Amino acid sequence: MGLGAIVVIGAERESLLAGPLACVDILGRSMVERAIERFVRYEVEAVTVLAESEECYGSRTSAGGLDSANVKVVADVVSAITEQLKEYAEKGIEHSFIVSGSMYAETDLLDLFYFHREAQQIVTRGIDREGPLDLWVVDCAKAREADLGILLKEEQEPGNSYFIRDYVSRVTQPQDLRRLVSDALAGRCALRPSGREIRPGIWIGERAEVHRRARIVAPAYIGCGSKVEEDTLITRCSSIERDCYVDCGTVIEDSSILANTHVGIWLDVCHAVASGNKLLSLGHDVVVEISDPSVMRSNDETRRALDLSLQHVEQQVVAAIEVAAIQREQPPAPETWQLGANPIQG
Amino acid sequence: MYTRGPVIVMELPEQLNHAEGGAFLAEMQPLLEIHRPRVVLDCSQVQHMDSAGIEVLLHCVEEAMKRDGDLKLAALSPAAAAILELMRVDRLFEVFASADEAARSFHAVASIEESQSPPWYSVPYGLPDLKSAS
Repeated sequence: MGLGAIVVIGAERESLLAGPLACVDILGRSMVERAIERFVRYEVEAVTVLAESEECYGSRTSAGGLDSANVKVVADVVSAITEQLKEYAEKGIEHSFIVSGSMYAETDLLDLFYFHREAQQIVTRGIDREGPLDLWVVDCAKAREADLGILLKEEQEPGNSYFIRDYVSRVTQPQDLRRLVSDALAGRCALRPSGREIRPGIWIGERAEVHRRARIVAPAYIGCGSKVEEDTLITRCSSIERDCYVDCGTVIEDSSILANTHVGIWLDVCHAVASGNKLLSLGHDVVVEISDPSVMRSNDETRRALDLSLQHVEQQVVAAIEVAAIQREQPPAPETWQLGANPIQG
Repeated sequence: MYTRGPVIVMELPEQLNHAEGGAFLAEMQPLLEIHRPRVVLDCSQVQHMDSAGIEVLLHCVEEAMKRDGDLKLAALSPAAAAILELMRVDRLFEVFASADEAARSFHAVASIEESQSPPWYSVPYGLPDLKSAS
C-alpha cells in the first residue's frame, strides 16, 4: 500500500508562549508527538516533521519525543511538502497524510485513506461540522504534476471531502489547549494523559511528588517531575505539566500550568493558563507578565542554578575522593595522647 | 486627585511597583489619616502591578478601615483584575466600573446612615421612661 505522513508545525506564536502550541506538552505529550505516535501505530512507513522555526521542537528532540520521525526545518512549507512528496514517491510510497501539528482529530486514518483511494483524486481533505480541517491525504505521484499550494488551500465539494464525526480540536490558541485538557480529563475525547492513574481521574507522571496534605480533586493531572507542596488544592480538570512546582497553599482550579513553571505560595490560579512568568486569564482574556519571581517564574533558571550547584557538589565530592585516596596511600601518623586532653581520666 | 463631596478619588500610576508604589503611598498617607476616609482608587491607567503594588493597596485599605472609612477600586483593567485574583486580594475590595459609580456608592451609604435613627447604644437605655415617670 505504501503510506507516508507529513506533520507540519507552523511558526505562528502568541503572547503566552515562546514557540508554537503544537510543541507544548498537553497532559504529558505534545500534539506533534501524539500525531507521530498515531501514525506509527497505523504502521505508516515514513513520518516527516516539517517545522517552520527551529526553536519550536528543539527541546522535544532532545527529550526523544520525535525519534521515530525525520525532522526538517523549512522556510516555505508548501514547497517543502512538494519536495517531501516527491521523495516519498521515489521511495515507492504512493499516498501520504498531511496534517497540521496543532490539530487533534480522532478519526480512523485507514478509513480516510480508503475513502481517498476510492475517490481517485489527488487530494482529499478532512472536514468537520465547523469546516475544513488541516488534514489531507495526497497521492504522492500525482501531486508532483499539480500545483499543491492551490490543491491544499481550495475547498472541495462536500462529496469529495472526508467528513469527520468524531472529536476534533483545532488548537490555535491557549484557550483551545485548555478546552482540550478539560475534554481529555473529563473523558469527552480519547486523549489520555501520559502517566499512571493512581485514583479514578487522577493521573500522576513519573517522579512527580505530591505532599500528603495536598488535595487533588479528580479529574486532574500532575506531570512527571513536578512537585506539589502541602495545603495546595488542584481541582476542576486542572493539569500541571512536567517539572513544575506548586508552592504551599496555592489553589489551581480549572487551569493548566505548562511545563517548567514555578507557582508561588498562597495564590489562586483560576480559569487560567500559566507558562513561566506569564499568566493568561481566560476570564479576563488577558496575558499578564509577572515580574515578581517569587510569585511566578520559569523553572529553567532554577534548574540551571541547581545544575551549577550540583556540579559544584560533584567537584567537591571528586576532590574529597582524591584527598581520601591520597590519605589512604599515606596513612596519618598515630595520634599522640596527652594527659590533659584525655577525656577518660582517673 | 479630585474630590466628589467627601469622597477622594485618586488615580493609580501606570506601574504600581516598589518605586512607584512608595511614592504613591507617600502622597496617599495624609489622605488616609483623616476621620472616616472615603477613597476611590481609579485603576484605569494601571498597566502593571506587582506584589509591592498589592501591598500598597492592602496598606491603604487597612489604614482606611482603621479610621472607620473604606477604599474602593474603580475602572480595573483586565490585567490588574487578573493579578488581584491571582494574589487572592480581589475579594477584599469593592470594584466598580467607573470612579463616579464608586463615589456614588459612598453617597448611597451616607444617605442611608443619615436617614436612620441614632443607634440604640447612643441613647441611655430606658432614660425617656424614667423622665416621664418623674
